[in-house]
Amino acid sequence: MHVIIFTWEFPPRTVGQLADYVKRLAVQLSQKAVNTDVVTYHEFSTGKEEEPEGIKTYRVTNPVKTHIGVLTWVLTLNQEVERVASNIYYNAGRQVALVDAHDWHFIHAAVTLKKAFKLPFIYSVESLEEHRSHGANFPFNMAIKSIEWLGLYEAKKIIVKSEWMRDEVIRIYNVPEDKIKVVMPDSQEWIDGILKTYKGLAGGAG
Amino acid sequence: MTGELTVMMLTWEFPPRIIGGISPHVYHLSKNLAKNGMKVYVVTCDFPGSPQHEIIDGVEVFRVDSYKNPSPDFATWVYLMNINMQKEAADLISRLGGKLDILHAHDWLVANAGIGLKHVFRKPLLATVHSTEIGRRNGIHLDYERMIHETEAWLTYEAWKVICCSDYMVSHVRWAFGLPEDKITMLPNGVDIQECNSRKKTGFSDFRKRYASPEEKIVLFVGRLVYEKGIHVFVNAVPKVLEKANAKFVIVGNGYMREPLSKLVDSMGLAHKVMFTGFVDDNTLRDLQGCADVCVVPSLFEPFGIVALEAMASRSPVVVSDTGGLSEIVEHDVTGVKVYPENPDSLAWGIMRVLLDEKYSSWLKKNAYKKIHEKYGWDRIGQQTIDVYRSVLKEYSKSFWS
Repeated sequence: MHVIIFTWEFPPRTVGQLADYVKRLAVQLSQKAVNTDVVTYHEFSTGKEEEPEGIKTYRVTNPVKTHIGVLTWVLTLNQEVERVASNIYYNAGRQVALVDAHDWHFIHAAVTLKKAFKLPFIYSVESLEEHRSHGANFPFNMAIKSIEWLGLYEAKKIIVKSEWMRDEVIRIYNVPEDKIKVVMPDSQEWIDGILKTYKGLAGGAG
Repeated sequence: MTGELTVMMLTWEFPPRIIGGISPHVYHLSKNLAKNGMKVYVVTCDFPGSPQHEIIDGVEVFRVDSYKNPSPDFATWVYLMNINMQKEAADLISRLGGKLDILHAHDWLVANAGIGLKHVFRKPLLATVHSTEIGRRNGIHLDYERMIHETEAWLTYEAWKVICCSDYMVSHVRWAFGLPEDKITMLPNGVDIQECNSRKKTGFSDFRKRYASPEEKIVLFVGRLVYEKGIHVFVNAVPKVLEKANAKFVIVGNGYMREPLSKLVDSMGLAHKVMFTGFVDDNTLRDLQGCADVCVVPSLFEPFGIVALEAMASRSPVVVSDTGGLSEIVEHDVTGVKVYPENPDSLAWGIMRVLLDEKYSSWLKKNAYKKIHEKYGWDRIGQQTIDVYRSVLKEYSKSFWS
């Protein structure tokens, strides 16, 4: 099974806890014989790298350097993610099972690839704008929420890390419960739970 | 190349959504490409009352849901709108089963969608640069402007070929983005000569009465009322012209300078000689251009100057500032009068030359109309565009993407 992971942070670039989580996930997947590519951001250290743990990383930078905030920064970075993910897809002879997009940043790219290649994606929710913004609902927050909504709507499956988050996704975005899978990162069944969800999507392919 | 060529136009405006010059440009270009046997898809923003999907003059138009929540600012709206545009276009191309030859993006407003689709579908992207941020703002002063400037640079970087509508814009774009010369092609903007002449010339006197008395000449300005269009120069030329000629100054268009300028006109005591009409419909505009005694384009920055072409096609003499694309369209003393930019005295001189010399005025009109036919008909420009597409496809066919 060939999987592409999208994440806006990955070691050595660590912003929050997502970077380490995704690293752990990618390494575990690779040990379970999943062909794992990680597409992520780095300011200057870009390109493809074969990591010692058996995963491949592709780091892209933003073609537009000047920004007025994180939102426009994210919005002009997605095309580079699409470029690299498309190259992976074509080079793999179109044999990619799915995209696993972590948080809202690269939802845009995941949705485009879904429309273009019928390539399904999972939206792995780390956090939601509703909680990050503490109830603020400026146009800036609304835009991020609209991207989260798009991701939840277009995703084939949603993975959350707690039952609380599952309930919040349902409460805020009115997502059907059977679309959401709770996989707790600290549990024994963590990587098997993720793999099972992946395989459910891939439909036995790969 | 065998079979039908297929192009997808990406544009943020298409009739009936008209904000600036891109909308009529893409409409006429698409229509003429379709007439020349191409399959043309246009993906554009939605507009109240217009269907999501329709065929207009042989062109298949898809209107996508543009971002409708309140937006922090215009540029952020553009990027958010591009998410939807790209998503819908990707869905459409996927349904076409790869039967698409060219992606053609118009300005930075659709840069993200065009660039993303290029890489996802591995098709050649062409970009027409109609205008630039550094030109519009006369320099880059804020991060917001620099972000747009860099987005424009990104689009020209990703494009297989960049199309500019005037030699002036070719050199401007080369300077602004540091592009190699052979990456840029000049294809002029066109004018629909038939449309400009479709209105009956009879019955003009009734129409004319709504704007001027019979003894008054009509001096016409058409454009957005913004600084770069030089509308303040025009207003300052009014009293100078009135010293020598009896005229009514008709100003068509809207913009942030409308209110300060109409106050200025009031304080000059010239409110009875200057008329602000606001935005008018196409037919009224054609009639006004048809019965104007002179059309004035006093821009400070003008990548092309379509309004001068329209006036020339409507057989109205033109006075333009000697800048940008206007310098190329008009040949001084042959197809119009060129004056110094940002100089009300020079502008007044040019207007009076036309108003006070009937013979000179008809000589200009005749030459201008001939020139329009030779160089600015859409038929010809459509054919030239197809030639550019074919040469790009020839190069593309040798790449590993094909």
